[in-house]
Amino acid sequence: MKRDHQETIGKKAESSSSSVDTGKGKSWFEDDQDAGGGMDELLAVLGYKIKSSDMADVAQKLEQLEMVLGSEDGISHLASDTVHYNPSDLSGWVQSMLSECNNLPSTDLDSSFLLSSNRDSLLGQPPAITSLDFSSNSHSKVFTDDSEYDLRAIPGVAAFPQQEFDRSNDRKRMKLTPIGSNIAPAPSANSLQSPTASSTSSSSPQAMAVSGTLSEPTRPIVLIDSQETGVRLVHTLLACAKETQEENLELADALVKRIGLLAASQTGAMRKVATYFAEALARRIYKISPQDYRLDSSCLDTLEMHFYETCPYLKFAHFTANQAILEAFANASRVHVIDFGLKQGMQWPALIQALALRPGGPPAFRLTGIGPPQPDNTDALQQVGWKLAQLARTIGVEFEFRGFVANSLADLDAEMLGLLPPEVEAVAVNSVFELHRLLGRPGGIDKVLGCIKAMRPKIVTVVEQEANHNSPVFLDRFTEALHYYSSLFDSLEGSGLTPRSQDLLMSELYLGRHICNVVACEGADRVERHETLAQWRTRLDSAGFDPVHLGSNAFKQASMLLALFAGGDGYRVEENNGCLMLGWHTRPLIATSAWQLAAGDSQQ
Amino acid sequence: MAGSNGVNLNESKRVVPLNTWVLISNFKLAYNLLRRPDGTFNRHLAEFLDRKVPANANPVDGVFSFDVIIDRGTGLLTRIYRLADAQESQPNIVDLEKPVNSEVVPVIIFFHGGSFAHSSSNSAIYDTLCRRLVGLCKAVVVSVNYRRAPEYRYPCAYDDGWTALKWVSSRTWLQSKKDSKVNIYLAGDSSGGNIVHHVASRAVESGIDVLGNILLNPMFGGQERTESEKRLDGKYFVTLQDRDWYWRAFLPEREDRDHPACNPFGPKGKSLEGMKFPKSLVVVAGLDLVHDRQLAYAEGLKKAGQDVKLLYLEQATIGFYLLPNNNHFHAVMDEISEFVSPNC
Repeated sequence: MKRDHQETIGKKAESSSSSVDTGKGKSWFEDDQDAGGGMDELLAVLGYKIKSSDMADVAQKLEQLEMVLGSEDGISHLASDTVHYNPSDLSGWVQSMLSECNNLPSTDLDSSFLLSSNRDSLLGQPPAITSLDFSSNSHSKVFTDDSEYDLRAIPGVAAFPQQEFDRSNDRKRMKLTPIGSNIAPAPSANSLQSPTASSTSSSSPQAMAVSGTLSEPTRPIVLIDSQETGVRLVHTLLACAKETQEENLELADALVKRIGLLAASQTGAMRKVATYFAEALARRIYKISPQDYRLDSSCLDTLEMHFYETCPYLKFAHFTANQAILEAFANASRVHVIDFGLKQGMQWPALIQALALRPGGPPAFRLTGIGPPQPDNTDALQQVGWKLAQLARTIGVEFEFRGFVANSLADLDAEMLGLLPPEVEAVAVNSVFELHRLLGRPGGIDKVLGCIKAMRPKIVTVVEQEANHNSPVFLDRFTEALHYYSSLFDSLEGSGLTPRSQDLLMSELYLGRHICNVVACEGADRVERHETLAQWRTRLDSAGFDPVHLGSNAFKQASMLLALFAGGDGYRVEENNGCLMLGWHTRPLIATSAWQLAAGDSQQ
Repeated sequence: MAGSNGVNLNESKRVVPLNTWVLISNFKLAYNLLRRPDGTFNRHLAEFLDRKVPANANPVDGVFSFDVIIDRGTGLLTRIYRLADAQESQPNIVDLEKPVNSEVVPVIIFFHGGSFAHSSSNSAIYDTLCRRLVGLCKAVVVSVNYRRAPEYRYPCAYDDGWTALKWVSSRTWLQSKKDSKVNIYLAGDSSGGNIVHHVASRAVESGIDVLGNILLNPMFGGQERTESEKRLDGKYFVTLQDRDWYWRAFLPEREDRDHPACNPFGPKGKSLEGMKFPKSLVVVAGLDLVHDRQLAYAEGLKKAGQDVKLLYLEQATIGFYLLPNNNHFHAVMDEISEFVSPNC
């Protein structure tokens, strides 16, 4: 085939790869180029990372797979009984499917993978033994899709509501009604576990990621059929931010007032967002510092609980992180989770439940919860730990809790945590919306990442907001935040709750506080320093971590979770090079990623 | 039949570049995993496997994009692509819907392919294609994220197309300066091409002006098996079995492939004679097993006295327009650019 026309798109991909150098350390682009043979640029643009030198090999594998999959049975097996990982790594994906096909129907316990049918395990057949190979040169891993357990255990209301709990001393078994009153009863095992579960063996969790075709950050914007006044309002907000940045405070003040007027004529999400941003701008202009962010932590926790109920973001975060943790803990008999932000411990009932239902029995589970000091000196951490202990006892999981009060994660050292060696205890470090807070403190994040490494974790789960709210340029930060929170507020509007419900109002207040922090605070006070997945990837990669991919099973369950809990169907789960993102329509809003120590780094 | 013997595989490999072969074979493999014999579709796995890209208000190669929910009820989303002004490096949110500033700006409403079941506006393959069209035609492109089968059957995709057409035609910021009207073209590949025809038909009946239709490998069918369908079954990535599956998934439950959605000029079809149907550019790939149907479509337009330009690419397969690494690609891009040019 003649290739007379050289497409300029090739050049674009090239230039983007060479300008990825952020100065923070190696990037995966450089790495791959060095590995001998560049990526096929045309396919890279379309989301597939294949080295040109591998193309013939991939083609051959595709042919082989085609021949092996002659029968319908073969296909349905791959479609329903295996977990897929990272489709961008086409070579790995095809190889893993080939391996799976070639190994049917062996049940070699010594080999590093084993197949099982979902239906069989639920119907009481011998449980499958899962094994995860974290070595960087494994080519496939298989995980039985025990999806149903995770979903049932997610609290719709708090898993241990206060009043029920105080009377529970004489109850032998605490009934978990994880799915709250406003949601339909949990579907039966069979229906959740439909024969369409997607799963296949995976490619190894190597640091192969397609960064997309762009080195510069993308600005995804979703508009809701904007009207004239909406545009004027946004225009005024941006103008005000600009004048504020330039310290033209009289002008900024006049604009803030105008925003108020314009906002009043708007309805719904736009009005609320504008109001919060206007308030934050006013604080910035008049240099009224918001109430001490830290003193209000218990208040913030309450608001966060409402936010947890109203929309799926936190549930998604917990769910996907738990999925990664479960997979990492698959064979361990003692496990230890270090939660960087315990708060009300909402993430853990579901994990405890899933561990209890693990084929082969639960491991001994240790939880270390970290939290800030309380203004009234109550031991909030212990209270949460106690509740979780009660839960664990009623479902038969050996449980131990320890709380650590710290003003900042940077105050931690691994030695404080009393960790056991990795051969004895598998450690998971879990950070849900905590890491970004360290970015305001010089050296903070590096110290914490070093500390994590010293913990020698099996897995590190990180959930962060998918936005760059940390630009040193105020106007950029403001603009980003405006788009981000507009989408977030819009999703709340669409969440099917009647307007002005308590939960909705609290959720808005919760988000309003974040907006205020991003816009009105500076220095150490500005803790909501969100950065994008791409930025976190670079940072974690430089610090000596390798990605662990989340697969199609987690994706599917997360999608089903959305359907169960969210009122609107604008929520979308997206797979991004082994990470999962939750977004509102096409705008990703939070991202879950999982990490392990880079090969060769485990001794540090 | 399903292309599982060595001869068939080698044949398709000979007619496309290797990376194209890998790309389309990958889709074929993935799609095989997604279609279930009982007619249901593994949507979760489909969404997991589909490579998507976000909209990007930062221009890349002079083109920026943003998404708009144009119908809150159905959640219908469109992705809009525009040329960035030479001066502005980062269009502001207020600039996104800034009035187009040329005498004549074509607005191409694009319907992505995927046999009614696959892909989305934010699929990487279609985001890339739409970006090309912007630069090529100096157009605004509006890519419609229509509802897909089997969850949403006929006529949902057409209804969404119609909603998008009405929305676009009522945007003042999309009006060309010359006549204060929106210069609309409809374009689509595979099922998108099919949607183009049906939306255009509805436009004619309702008095919205469409200046032209562009159909790339449009998806049509019929109850009877045509010669090309029999001869090429399984030879170049596509099988009759999968074509039948998609029609069963899209068409109303008890309908067959002579339903006018599938076979617009067939026994249950309707002639366009005497109607002010837009001019059409119909691109047909010779190695597409349904090319007889596509040629018959072009013929049907001609017989009804409509303006149609047929571009028949004998050696092209499905998906040739996804990668710019072959002559067919460039030939088609040139044709499209001319078709949409105001000098035509």
